[in-house]
Amino acid sequence: MATALENLEEPRGLFFDIFGSFDPSSVTPRLGRLRVKGRQELETPNFFAISSRGVVPHLTPDVISASTTIGGVHMALEDFIERATIGTPPIMNCPGSSPLHTFTALPRSLITVLAPRRTPAVSAPKGNSNTAISVFTSTGFQVLSNKSYISYIAKLHPDIAIPLADVPHGSNPGTKRVPKMGDRTQEWVTELLNSKNDEQAVFAPILPIDSLSQYEYLNQLADELTDGISGLAFYDSNLLPDMPATTSLSRLPRLSLDEPSSPRQILRQVSLGMDIFTIPFIGFATEAGIALTFRFPRPVLDEPAVLDGVVGSVLPLGINMSSKSHTASLKPLSTACTCYTCTTHHRAFVQHLLSADEMLSWTLLQIHNSHVVSEFFTSIRECVRRGTFEADCDEFARAYESELPEKSGQGPRVRGYHFKSEGPGESKKNKAAWGNLGNFEHGISGLVPDEPAGTLEDKGFAKKADT
Amino acid sequence: MAAAKPMPSALDFELEARCSTTKARAAILTLPHGPVQLPLFMPVATQASLKGLTPEQLEATGCRLCLNNTYHLGLKPGQEALEAVGGAHKLQGWKHNILTDSGGFQMVSLLKLANITEEGVRFLSPHDGTPMLLTPEHSIALQNTIGSDIIMQLDDVLVTTSPDTKRMREAMERSVRWLDRCISAHKNPTTQNLFCIIQGGLDLEMREECCREMVARDTPGIAIGGLSGGEAKADYCRVVNTCTGLLPELKPRYVMGIGYPEDLVVSVALGADMFDCVWPTRTARFGDAITKHGVLKLRNASYRNDFGPVEEGCGCLCCRQGKGSLGVTRAFVHHLAAKETVGAHLLTIHNVWYQLALMKSVRESIIEDRFPAFLKHFFSDLHGGDKAKYPDWAVEALRTVGVDLML
Repeated sequence: MATALENLEEPRGLFFDIFGSFDPSSVTPRLGRLRVKGRQELETPNFFAISSRGVVPHLTPDVISASTTIGGVHMALEDFIERATIGTPPIMNCPGSSPLHTFTALPRSLITVLAPRRTPAVSAPKGNSNTAISVFTSTGFQVLSNKSYISYIAKLHPDIAIPLADVPHGSNPGTKRVPKMGDRTQEWVTELLNSKNDEQAVFAPILPIDSLSQYEYLNQLADELTDGISGLAFYDSNLLPDMPATTSLSRLPRLSLDEPSSPRQILRQVSLGMDIFTIPFIGFATEAGIALTFRFPRPVLDEPAVLDGVVGSVLPLGINMSSKSHTASLKPLSTACTCYTCTTHHRAFVQHLLSADEMLSWTLLQIHNSHVVSEFFTSIRECVRRGTFEADCDEFARAYESELPEKSGQGPRVRGYHFKSEGPGESKKNKAAWGNLGNFEHGISGLVPDEPAGTLEDKGFAKKADT
Repeated sequence: MAAAKPMPSALDFELEARCSTTKARAAILTLPHGPVQLPLFMPVATQASLKGLTPEQLEATGCRLCLNNTYHLGLKPGQEALEAVGGAHKLQGWKHNILTDSGGFQMVSLLKLANITEEGVRFLSPHDGTPMLLTPEHSIALQNTIGSDIIMQLDDVLVTTSPDTKRMREAMERSVRWLDRCISAHKNPTTQNLFCIIQGGLDLEMREECCREMVARDTPGIAIGGLSGGEAKADYCRVVNTCTGLLPELKPRYVMGIGYPEDLVVSVALGADMFDCVWPTRTARFGDAITKHGVLKLRNASYRNDFGPVEEGCGCLCCRQGKGSLGVTRAFVHHLAAKETVGAHLLTIHNVWYQLALMKSVRESIIEDRFPAFLKHFFSDLHGGDKAKYPDWAVEALRTVGVDLML
C-alpha cells in the first residue's frame, strides 16, 4: 500500500514518506509518515504540542509518557535565552547529544522542533532588521541575529529547525515591508543552509504574504535550496496551493504555524495537503476550563447532547467545565472518551478543581484535550485512507459549531511573555489573590457575626445564604 | 466528667519496635483504606488535590495517607456535592487513606477575626461575607460526609504563645467538652476514626490535665494540637515530651502541623508517630528543594548551569538515575521555577518523596535499634558536620531522651 518516495538514502536523520498516489500538482489531503532517527514515528496528518519554556504546559514528562500520545513538541528559542545579553544562556551549556531533550527532561521518543519564536508570538515593539529579529524573553525584548540563531541550532541540534523568518507577528506589513520580508528570509535561510551540518533537518518558513510577493524566495526554495531543506513551515496555510509544483518541494512534509482557531480550520488545511499542525487552541481551551468534546467525523451516538438535542441541532466543540451544573456529575468529561482523565476522574472533580483554582484542573484538562485532538487526527487519517474525507468534513460541519465556546475560566497567572502590554491604563491581567478583610460588596456591619447562635445554626455551615 | 461508653475503633495499631534509648516507636497502623507505617509524614492535599499532582503521582511518592482540609471542602465543593459524589475518596480518585482536620485551625490561621463561643466558631464567609457558625456537630457531620479514614475533633485553638492563662484554660476545657459533643455526633465510628486533640498551650500542667481527660474518652487515636504556632522550639519539645509520657502506648500519636525535617526526627525521638505540614509542598512552589544537606533555593542564579539532579542519591521520580528516570536537573527547575506549573509539580514530587523517605529511614533505624546513630548522622549531614551549627533546642530535647548529639 505504501509507495514511499525514493528518498530513503538521504544522508539526513529525517525521512518523510507519502502514502498513496502522489501528484505534485494536485491539492488534496495526504497521508504520510515522518521518521526521525531515535524518535517515535509520526503518522500524518498529526500535530506537535506547543511548549512554553520547554514544557507542554501543566504536563510533567512522566504524564506526557503515561497519558498522552503526543509525538513531538514545538519549542521556541526565545523561551531559553533571557540571559543572552549578559552571558551564555544555560541551555547552551547543557551536556548531551540532544540538549533540548536533556535540558527539558522531554521523553526521548518525542520529536523536537525549534523555532525562534513562540506560537502564537507576542508582537515586538521594534521591527526586524536586515540581520536580526526581535524576540521576547521572560525578561523583555531582545535582538536575535541570524548569525547567533545559526549557532544556537548548531549547538542544540533540534530534530527539526525552523530558520529565522521576517514575520511581522500581530501587525500587517506595509507595502515597503512586504518585498523586504521575502528578501530577508531568503537570505537568512540561505545563510543557515550554507553553514549547517548535513544531519540537521531544516523546515523552510513560508511567509504570511501572497505568493507573488515572495515569488523569488519560493522559486529559490524549489530550485537551488531544495536539497538543503527537509520540510516547509507555513505561517499561512493559504499559500499551500500556490507553492511551485515541483516534485522535490511537494514531497516535503508541511508544518502549519498558522494558529488554526477551530477543528474546521484544521480540516480545511488538511484538505489542502497540510501534514503536521501546531494548535494553540488546545492550550487556550485547557486554561479557559473547557473540555474539548468534538469527534471526527461525527459524535458518538449516545452522546447525551445528541440524544437530547432536537434533530438538526448543532453541538458545541467543548464543554465549559467550570459550570456549576457539573458539581455532582460522575460522568466522564466526554462520552466514551478513553483518556486518563475520563477513565479515572469525573466532571465533579474537574469542576471542583477549577472552582478551587487548583493546578491539577489544568493538568487533567490538558491530558483530555490533547487526547481529543490526537483522536481527531487518527480519525482524519482513517477517513482520508477510506476516501470519504470530503463528505466527512461536510458532516462534521453540520454536526458541530464552527468555533470554540467562550472563555470563562480565570486560568493560571499570566506571565509577561504570554502577552504584550498595551501601554498605560491597561487593566490588570491577573486578579489579586487577596483583598482587605471585611471589604465585602454588600457592606456588613461587623467583622464577626453577632446573630444568635440559633439563627446561624439554621443557615448551616458553609452554605451560602440566599440574598 | 470522664466518658462513659467505650468507643468503637476502625483502626488497628500494631507496635513493631521501640527504640531502646529514646521514646521513638515503629508501628503499623491499619486504617480502612489500608496499612501505613509509622512514624509517618502526611502531605497536605488541602482542596482534594496535592498541588498539581495526579493521585497516581502522589501514590508513586509512596504516600498512603494524605490530608484534606474540612474547612476548604466544606466551602468547595460543599457538603451537598460531597454527599452526591460519595465522599472525598471518590471526588479525588484516591484509593488510599485520608485524614481530615476539623476546620477549627483554619478559623484561627485564615480568619483572624473569628469569634469562639461555647456553641462553636463564628465567622464571616471569606467568599461573600455570609455569617457562619461552625459547631462540633457541623464539623463531624462534614467529616462524616467526606468519609475520611481519620477525622479530628473540633477544638478551641489558641496560639500557644498567648499570655492569657485564663483563656488558655477555658480553651482546653472547652476542647474537652467539644470532644464529648463530637463523640456523640459521630455517625460512623466503625468506619472512621475520631482523634481527640490535646490542648493546653505551653502550660505543662494544663497539658497533663487535658491528656488525662481526653485519654479517658478512649478515642482510637490522639493528636497533640495548638503547636507550631511560633512558640520556642524548646517549649514545643517539652509539651510533646510531656504529652507522650501520659498517652497510652498502643494508640497512634499525631502532632499537628509539624514538617521541618529536624522537627520530625526530634519529635519521633520524643515519642510521636504522625505529622503533617504544608511546608514541603508550599516551599516546592517557591522553587525550594528539601535535601539531606538542607533546603536548596533553586531560584538562586547559582543553579542555572547546574546539570546535576535535584539531590544526588535521591530515589524520587525526578532524581533517580537509570531506568524510569526523568533526568530533571537543578538547571531545569531553575528555568521553570515560579514561571511554569510543571516546575512546581516536579519539586512537589521531590519534596514529598524526601519527607516520606526520611520517615522510612527513621523507621528502619528504630526497628534495627540504631535510631540514636541515625540522629547523629542526620544532624551531621544537615549542618555539614559542624556541631556548632546544631540548634540548641534539638540538642537539649534529645538529651532528655538519652541522645547527646555533641558526643
